[in-house]
Amino acid sequence: MGRLELRVAVRGQRSVAVHQYHQGALRVLRPHYLDDSGQVCYVVVNPGGAYLGADLFVLDVEVGDGADLLLTTQSATKVYRTPGSFAEQRMTVRLGEGARLELMPDQLIAYREASYRQRTSIALRPSSSLVMAEVVTPGWSPDGTAFRYEQVRLRNEIRVEPDGAGGTSELLALDNLLIRPPSGDVTGVGFMEGFSHVGSLVVVDARVDQALADELHLLAAGFDALPGISLTRAVAGTSGLVLRALSNSTGELNLLLSACANLLRERWHGQGPLNLRKH
Amino acid sequence: MSGYQLALQQLVDSALPTGAFAHSLGFETYVDAGVVRDEASFGVWLGAFISQSLSYSDGLAIRFLYEGVDLEELDALLSASLLPRQVREASVKMGLRLLEIGGEVFPSDELASYRELVTGGRAAGHQPLAFAVVARSLGVPLPEALAAYLFATVTSLTQNAVRAIPLGQNAGQRLLRQAADDVAAAVERIAHLTPDDFGAVTPGLEISQMRHERQRARMFMS
Repeated sequence: MGRLELRVAVRGQRSVAVHQYHQGALRVLRPHYLDDSGQVCYVVVNPGGAYLGADLFVLDVEVGDGADLLLTTQSATKVYRTPGSFAEQRMTVRLGEGARLELMPDQLIAYREASYRQRTSIALRPSSSLVMAEVVTPGWSPDGTAFRYEQVRLRNEIRVEPDGAGGTSELLALDNLLIRPPSGDVTGVGFMEGFSHVGSLVVVDARVDQALADELHLLAAGFDALPGISLTRAVAGTSGLVLRALSNSTGELNLLLSACANLLRERWHGQGPLNLRKH
Repeated sequence: MSGYQLALQQLVDSALPTGAFAHSLGFETYVDAGVVRDEASFGVWLGAFISQSLSYSDGLAIRFLYEGVDLEELDALLSASLLPRQVREASVKMGLRLLEIGGEVFPSDELASYRELVTGGRAAGHQPLAFAVVARSLGVPLPEALAAYLFATVTSLTQNAVRAIPLGQNAGQRLLRQAADDVAAAVERIAHLTPDDFGAVTPGLEISQMRHERQRARMFMS
């Protein structure tokens, strides 16, 4: 079990936490600044090391007007056996006017007999900027076979609030990835296409357009992976893109996703490539 | 014979001019890659498509509409969850045609209000919802409406595969007979899905639908 609340706002030239609360097996390391952009970086740690059956982790993140947060994790999220139950992570994110969030967690590893549900609900403004990446690995079982988990559900719901909090929000994207190995052969056509890992990148920003999608697709084609990329619908002057890629290695997918994220960091924010120096 | 039988047959006939002949909903990407190349391999794709995309998006949207979920909300859910742009556009393109044809041959108050939502920019006009509004107004029970819609989609896709791969006409009929079992299983499965399941996708089908945007030579719009 664990609960984490983090509210970030602009103070002077930098973004800082103005509210922090943690309970149970979730906390953040002290903030750091990776460059002089003012973007604050927080690293979420789970000292318990893993998610188990009936575990519920709740994260509540708010990035205030004009603030800039990079949120990552210290290590992979591991989900072990959850017999007759499931582990769950619920994350709520609110981005203010001109606020930015880069959400770059480590990979998710679901082991044998694991069931995991992750639900991320994001509310943002047309002027907000969001980049989120995710990698799911197959979680090899002791006998060397992959896909022995029961179920992995990753549900991202992104709403645009044209008139700010309290106004009517409109759904921009519902990204609902479901992999359920016991329901049949998930390795083949239509499912994993013979690959073992899946990665996703979601970008929401008023500057997202077809030319950017084409450029990212070209960039992704340089990696040992099978990528697809498409624009979401547009709502209130902003829109998004979703990149999905299959591959056989966490490293290759991380390289692909960070190459895309780095292109956006440089182009939109004048920042250098992301280097978390974790490993 | 139930009063709605012939109307339902007209509604799901592949001659209904909604433009379904122009869409592969992703299978053309597999044809281009040589993965779908004959009767058996198309059958594998079709089985995956029925049990996944078709059940979790279109099928569930139809069921929720029948159960009274707000139409405008369902329309927005489809626009947001059909992430591959061509598939989203296909659903709206065929939906608008169905709304137009339905308005002329199966008019009802419910259909008129869906058309008003679309005209007013408050809804996009998705194919499964346009179908469900008409079918419900005709008094078609949900399981029958679902089976008819799913099988009509499967029939169009199979006819498209017969032309594109190409396959023999008899192979097409064998595929349809086999897909009938998958459709029956899907109708059963859809009854047990939850709101959290809406729009659930498997990576492979979705990536192929996205990659179709960049395929060089293509017969289909999706």
